[in-house]
Amino acid sequence: MIQFDDDRLTRPSAPDLDRKVQDSGPSRPDVRKPDSGNELLKRMKKVDPNQAKKYRQRSGQ
Amino acid sequence: MTSQISSDDNPSEESKSETPILGLSPILCGIETEYGFSIEGRGAEDQIDDAIQFVRSYAQPHFSGWNYAYESPRADLRGFKLDTLATDPVDAEFDAGKNHGQVHDIRSDKVLPNGARFYNDHGHPEYATPECWQLAELALHDKAGEIVLRRAAFELETQIEKPVTVYKNNTDFHGASYGTHENYLVPRNFGFQQIYDAVLPVLIARQVLTGAGKVGSEKGPGAIYQISARSDFFVEAANAETLFRRPIFNTRDECHADPQKWIRLHVISGDANMIPSCTSRKVGLVKLALHLLMLGRCPKWKIENPVQAFQDISRDESNKYRINLSSQNWTNAYELLESYFAEFDQCDDLHDSPAGGELCQLVSESRTLLKDLSGGSPNAAKHIDWLAKRKMLETYMEDSGTDWNDPSLQAFDLEYHNIDPDAGLHFALAQMGEIENYPPQDQCLDRLIQPHERNRAWARSIALSKFPDKIENVCWRTISIRNSQEEVVQIELAPDREYPLQLEDASNVENYIQWVNQ
Repeated sequence: MIQFDDDRLTRPSAPDLDRKVQDSGPSRPDVRKPDSGNELLKRMKKVDPNQAKKYRQRSGQ
Repeated sequence: MTSQISSDDNPSEESKSETPILGLSPILCGIETEYGFSIEGRGAEDQIDDAIQFVRSYAQPHFSGWNYAYESPRADLRGFKLDTLATDPVDAEFDAGKNHGQVHDIRSDKVLPNGARFYNDHGHPEYATPECWQLAELALHDKAGEIVLRRAAFELETQIEKPVTVYKNNTDFHGASYGTHENYLVPRNFGFQQIYDAVLPVLIARQVLTGAGKVGSEKGPGAIYQISARSDFFVEAANAETLFRRPIFNTRDECHADPQKWIRLHVISGDANMIPSCTSRKVGLVKLALHLLMLGRCPKWKIENPVQAFQDISRDESNKYRINLSSQNWTNAYELLESYFAEFDQCDDLHDSPAGGELCQLVSESRTLLKDLSGGSPNAAKHIDWLAKRKMLETYMEDSGTDWNDPSLQAFDLEYHNIDPDAGLHFALAQMGEIENYPPQDQCLDRLIQPHERNRAWARSIALSKFPDKIENVCWRTISIRNSQEEVVQIELAPDREYPLQLEDASNVENYIQWVNQ
């Protein structure tokens, strides 16, 4: 049967969830360059340079 | 009491009189993606437990009760059944002495309202899209899967109070790979050798238009940057394995439909694509090969060493993409793909078929991209993941004054596949207009409610939304549902038909069963 998480139905949604769900991907490509500079480089500078070294997974299919 | 009703038991007069021409009917397809994920303080040895919790944390409406009866992963298209499937020895060490429980507990299957399957597959949360006829629909459902994963990750973060990062990729850069598989329903009129001969050349060549790219190599000769994220993991041209000793052409014979009529071609050699048009192209090129096979128009290529050819193309920095042939001649990926396009040009019936429009678009766009690729045009980076990723890395190197020896490049590769739109590097490119033809987000969200094509996924979705309390179990092929006499009726959902719109008006299970069999 269809299952609902009762806890989820009664508690207020976390403030971040709606933003994450609604903003999960661009609604359409934003052709304008962000005013505050290159968004890509800004994000790249936040990346932990050792992230891939630490990343370990099981083999899947 | 359980009775079984097949849609073939009561064919309508219309369906009796129609004999579809092989190769002109739309091909039903799906994509299953095993996602990678990372939780601070947890490792690969914890991954099965974590993946179970990940999937179970999904709090949106769903149905629990997958029917495993028709699964046959050890059956081989070549006419035999393997005793066992190979497993990764490193994973076997993780599992030593552990008992994670019964299969249904480990897998924790959820069937979503749109007919998709979300479950734990070998320690990876996996989203299997609803089956689709059209490439554009499939690409939207594939993107909708990212939303499902983000929602589950958010709930898991809330439960464990630690950040959870999810990656739609295929490698951990340390020798472990996990798959993005495509599935194509093919009439059993065609055997292994015919399908292999038709599809294998495309699987090798299509990476130049569909690869996700990878910094470095994990096996074999070293590489600075590869076109395919998966190429390091193929060791044979064809076999039924998926976890270890992987092949380019997978021979698993698990059709998820009537086995007398159908084969499910299970393609495991593709990459997980972030760019939706890349997903469409990846599937479209194989569909084109299958259509041409069924019409008796498929080009004939005999590749000398398929694994070598796949890996050579993946590592080729010259854009030449040479492929040695068994005849001691050679070709390249451009010519090989063009041979399929040229055959399509000659197939008027296929142009006029239901799939004709999307195949025309596929061929036209692919030709443009191949031309861009050979000429070094930057346009292709807006459509192909491996080029978008490479351009991203070059942007960083130019800005920071480093080169391909920069040890942080693999971290950027990984973060290209981060599915968080606020952090993922692919999404930064999309937001900057560096990716073309991005679908609106509301179209992806809409696919989580119900499929837009009236195929068996749509019929499944209708049952899940209308009669959730009456359903006993579900799989790709069947729905077991209780009627008003509380009898459990197993309905077989034929995969090759359009279901009547009136199913939406079914007010009880009897109506549904009657109409689904019309």
